[in-house]
Amino acid sequence: MKASPTKSLWTTACFLLAGCSAELIPPHRGRITPLSLGPEIQLGDSEANPSTPFLRFAVDGKLYAIWTEDESGQKNNPSSLSAHQHSGKMAPSPLRNALLAASSDGGKTWSASKQVNSGAEAVQGEENGPKVAFDASNRPYVVWSIPGEKGDKTRANIRFAMADGNGGFTPARTLNEVKDAARFPIIEFSPDGNLLIAWIDRRIDNPKPRQLYLMRIGLDGKALTKNYAVGEGLCECCKLGIAFADGGKTVYMVDRQVNDKQVRNHVLRKSTDGAATFEAPVEISDDGWQVPSCPHSGPSLARDRRGQLHVTWFTLGRSEKDAGIYYGVSKDDGKSFAARQLVHANTAPEILYSTLAVGEDDTVYLAWSNLDGTGKAQIFMRSLAPDGRTWTPIQQLSNAKGNAGRPVLALRKNQLHVAWTETDGEDSRVVLRSGTVDQ
Amino acid sequence: MKTLIVQTIRIRWNTISRLALPIGFAIFFALEPATGWPQHDHPAGQSFPPVAGNPAISFDLQALDGKPAGLTNFRGKPLVMNFFASWCDPCRDEMPLINELASRAAKDGYNVLGIAVEDGRAAVTEFAKEAKLVFPIALDLNSTVKRAYRVFGPPATFFIDAQGVIRDIVLGPMTQERAREGLKKAGVAR
Repeated sequence: MKASPTKSLWTTACFLLAGCSAELIPPHRGRITPLSLGPEIQLGDSEANPSTPFLRFAVDGKLYAIWTEDESGQKNNPSSLSAHQHSGKMAPSPLRNALLAASSDGGKTWSASKQVNSGAEAVQGEENGPKVAFDASNRPYVVWSIPGEKGDKTRANIRFAMADGNGGFTPARTLNEVKDAARFPIIEFSPDGNLLIAWIDRRIDNPKPRQLYLMRIGLDGKALTKNYAVGEGLCECCKLGIAFADGGKTVYMVDRQVNDKQVRNHVLRKSTDGAATFEAPVEISDDGWQVPSCPHSGPSLARDRRGQLHVTWFTLGRSEKDAGIYYGVSKDDGKSFAARQLVHANTAPEILYSTLAVGEDDTVYLAWSNLDGTGKAQIFMRSLAPDGRTWTPIQQLSNAKGNAGRPVLALRKNQLHVAWTETDGEDSRVVLRSGTVDQ
Repeated sequence: MKTLIVQTIRIRWNTISRLALPIGFAIFFALEPATGWPQHDHPAGQSFPPVAGNPAISFDLQALDGKPAGLTNFRGKPLVMNFFASWCDPCRDEMPLINELASRAAKDGYNVLGIAVEDGRAAVTEFAKEAKLVFPIALDLNSTVKRAYRVFGPPATFFIDAQGVIRDIVLGPMTQERAREGLKKAGVAR
């Protein structure tokens, strides 16, 4: 049977128009206006090389920042000063303190910082800096890691302290039951009413890579569980991400895996029994980055009100042309992930760091580091509208003289805050920018 | 019937033409992440990609003791240049072997230089003391050398011959076999 030319033309036209209608008239109401953030504010004692910030809102709406600084006792150590190139500046020291401060006015002004660690310790930074969580009465609980007995940063210990009720902090104690085997801690106030702490553990050193360990702590600081393993095959130097649902009954975690061929893709782990056990990990994206060295850049996870899980990460992929910051979303409660979206391609050979947060309207905010046109690492940001497709333009937030890295985000209602570390030679500083977003 | 079809098509095209501008924007922003930020050249001063057969990229750094630790300070002898960090697991794992190479360097006629990346003076000093390192360590505090040599993550080791040409590269932890091979390629007769 021969189709008439008129009928064929009509059929083709219908297909074309139907295609046009489907592809070109999406019902999105996405935002494309750039984010508006205020000027830079520095946190900490500029003479003490502040670095590695972490931001979190307490329940009462106060914004808290925790970071590390050089131990002040090193200030006048002549032997250390002789090695330092900046006259009058605090000498570099492996001893670093964890400092906590609060802001009641959206990050404009800050309280005097309080030292969290009771004794002089080499509080670690990089991907491994201190973290704080708050219970329903705004009480802070802090974790950090310190090098092991022989000074080995990779065989470290997880330390814990909480507000003592008298304006200070309880003496720090070590959480990992096997010494010199834990780092990259995170702490969360679980919706079920106690604290969940997770870290990367190497108590079983061979043959497998690292394990994912957890423990529960009550609001009185007492351990509710022993250390327990919930996963293995973790990359040894990449931060963890976590999110909750169902009043704390459901817990999601993300980490970078390493397989026996040294391929380092990311996975999502889901627990439906309050983090007692986890289902088999689900691969977020088959990036195929085969790397025998340290990526030292972990994923970030957030869950929106619709139950969608949002993840960002860095990968070099299967070739350098694939390198960059990526974003992925799961719309089926972590069973699978949509094809990754490139957020920002690498502009030069460099490990990049990314983080994300989700607003009350399900807009996703991402911040990351990348190199600018002059070869310096800077902080960039953009947001993704709830339609999952409409991105704001990429904005450069920092103007670091040296390099900027490891951004962190805090988002509550319409308040958005971004902090990061800037380094220039031997100096470092913590920078914060704040703004409001439409919610 | 024909009139109806024509009207439908006209309405469709009118709709499309009204939406042309927003559609254009949508396409632009949808494609923008994929095309990414403008690609930039590698750091200034880099003449050749850091691959075997190319001249090693020149740099000027300072060692922990304050002495100059630039590439030219090591010219005339083969050089084993190891990028590491005190916080890096595989770096710590391979460090006894790098230190062993360094302990034989004077006798076998080559140099070893450690370049600490994304690390601070204090931490590196502690690490050098703890690991009893016997070779000079330079601090790449602003990551310029790491970027020039395209080191995505430590450890990475470059074997450079006496004429300053890169002869072998080991990305990831060093092994005895790869060390032997690298030294041989760099012209170290053992």
